Amino acid sequence: MQKNKARSRFIVACVAPAVILSIIFLVIPTFNVFRMSLFKWGGYSPNKEFVGLNNFITLFHDAKFFQSVRNSILLIVVVTVITIGFALVFAAILTREKLKGQNFFRVIFYIPNILSVVVISAIFSAIYDSNYGMLNSILSIFRGGDAEPIYWLGDQKIVIYSIVGAMVWQAIGYYMVMYMASMSSISESLYESANLEGASRIRQFFSITIPLIWTNIRTTLTFFIISNINMSFLFVKAMTNGGPDGATEVFLSYMYKQAYTNSTYGYGMAIGVVVFSFSFALSAIVNAVTKREPLEF
Amino acid sequence: MKKALSIILAAGMLLTALAGCGSTSSSTPASTAGSASAPAAEGDYAGQTLKVAAIETAYGTQMWEDVVAAFEAKTGATVELTMDKNLEDVIDPSMKAGDFPDVVHLAVGREKAMPETLIKENALEDLTDVLSMNVLGEDVTVGEKIIGGFTGNTTTNPYGDDRVFLMPMFYSPCGLFYDAGLFETKGWEVPETWDDMWALAETAAAEDISLFAYPTAGYLDAFTYAMMAEAGGQDMFNRALNYEEGIWETPEMTQMFDVLTKLASYTEPSVPSNANGDNFTKNQQLILDDKALFMPNGTWVVGEMADAPRAETFKWGFMALPALEEGGDRYSYTFFEQCWVPAGAENKELAKVFISYLYSDEAADIFAASSAVQPIAGMTDALSEENQLFYAVYDDGAKAAIGTFAATDPVEGVNIKDAMCFTMDSVVSGTKTQADWVAAVTAASDALRAALK
Repeated sequence: MQKNKARSRFIVACVAPAVILSIIFLVIPTFNVFRMSLFKWGGYSPNKEFVGLNNFITLFHDAKFFQSVRNSILLIVVVTVITIGFALVFAAILTREKLKGQNFFRVIFYIPNILSVVVISAIFSAIYDSNYGMLNSILSIFRGGDAEPIYWLGDQKIVIYSIVGAMVWQAIGYYMVMYMASMSSISESLYESANLEGASRIRQFFSITIPLIWTNIRTTLTFFIISNINMSFLFVKAMTNGGPDGATEVFLSYMYKQAYTNSTYGYGMAIGVVVFSFSFALSAIVNAVTKREPLEF
Repeated sequence: MKKALSIILAAGMLLTALAGCGSTSSSTPASTAGSASAPAAEGDYAGQTLKVAAIETAYGTQMWEDVVAAFEAKTGATVELTMDKNLEDVIDPSMKAGDFPDVVHLAVGREKAMPETLIKENALEDLTDVLSMNVLGEDVTVGEKIIGGFTGNTTTNPYGDDRVFLMPMFYSPCGLFYDAGLFETKGWEVPETWDDMWALAETAAAEDISLFAYPTAGYLDAFTYAMMAEAGGQDMFNRALNYEEGIWETPEMTQMFDVLTKLASYTEPSVPSNANGDNFTKNQQLILDDKALFMPNGTWVVGEMADAPRAETFKWGFMALPALEEGGDRYSYTFFEQCWVPAGAENKELAKVFISYLYSDEAADIFAASSAVQPIAGMTDALSEENQLFYAVYDDGAKAAIGTFAATDPVEGVNIKDAMCFTMDSVVSGTKTQADWVAAVTAASDALRAALK
């Protein structure tokens, strides 16, 4: 009995720091975001005016907000599909095929993950530079030297895809390494017997590799979608700051502008609430849609 | 024993983690060096502590440290000086918690918009009485020292009455910068009217030089302010700043939008690509490389681009905006920084004394040594020759436009600077027309008029 008491005291003491910290830094701020979204407040003074759901009503009539929603969803869908797709293919090639310099490629692919987003943005700003950038220089081989340069960060129809490029480059290596880890744990005998049955490499990839690492893909998918909302803010902030003229505004950059630049802190928090609910709902949907019976071998 | 130890360790972990975010001692070592050794009992304010927060800009930190040290020596008060390039991020957390600096030197028009927010929330101290106070150590009032026009405008008197809430500090004329060397070698005349400008655009285009570039669209605020004054005169400028109904469709303002739209068509096409906080120097570089002729900017650009490579014959030139017609008025917008006192400050009396001291000859000389010019008559004489050239723009006949859009209650999702300036990016790239532009500004103006203070 005595021992049990001591044991639970010990457990409480061990868990307490994490619980207290997460309450202070996670639960209370989240609760505050919800509370403040109901106020008209600039952020500094004690003059908070309760306006109920007014901020949300304004929000649903705000064309610029919808532009940021459109951009965010586009980034989530396109970046996720391309990144996870490429990461899977590269991981399969690096684990299944006998390539020279496998480790070299593994390191090269992983490097972007070590770099900070600001550095990556600077690199891509240089690559995308319309006058001296690498991309336009390479393209000029095919388009001719006199062709009008492509304004990767200036043309409002292209600029969001330029951000996609940088985000994919940044994320691929990390997910590739994750998939490689789970792929290497698949038993070699499965592939051997598939070979004997005459299954092609592509068939093996879809019928053996993908089903057997499905749990891993599911987890990373949810994780990626949520981190995408944050990452897109960082990239946009460092590369275009939402410009030109709002063409790359995403959820969080618009929230930042409203909460600070426009002195409408309460409105910014209302955007925060929408983003919070959106990411929660999206993760739930992704989780439900990708649910499969886990395969074992 | 082991259990006790682990409990202590766990508790220690928690405490240190919490302690990391608790303390907010933000006084920088900069001021303490001077204050610690200063005799505390000299002046009338011995023993009092004043918290000063100042933005670190191109002028550097040394001048503020010197001014603070001189003030401490004069009064015996202790000054805690906080300086940072992102001052908002440093003082914001404690301000949200109700702990305010006594004096803040931070201008309007920055992305975080801290003074604007405080104005909208009525959270600034009324500084009107500072104008009638004697400058510390001098027999002249602050109001007498400040050049006329620097108070009483929509920036310093944000509520449109006689109350002054922001005190004018370092000023700089804004206008168009160009490579004077290029004009000499090519034998081109510097345009005096917009018609000359368009003619020059064609001449320059033949040599693959664009007429115009802007660092970011945000820099067009000073430009459009001056254009408004030029098109409609000071009175109409003020009415526009107060969002008068229908003003954006008047012939005068249409004339302004015509000029802006035409200018957009002559803008170097890569400008919008780099028109953001990280790449704007590439746009400024266009002028140094003779790829574009004119850019709107302030005198700080000379220091900002001091180390940048440039065309061989490059020489900075500066002019007010060209006139709309032969012999018409030319305007140069006067950008000036401000200092203010939060309503929540503890030591307001000493804060006002400190502000009065900022206008003393002693302090102004310290500032001028770092090229920061106080709006005090005769201050420009102490400047370098190149800088004097810029400040002489008003002596050469250009009129000064002063003021910013009037303060309103915050309106969700509406920002007139976005509509006014950043639409330029879209007009340059061809996704929006002049009609869209006027409509965007009108919509923002209408929304803000309803929220005027």
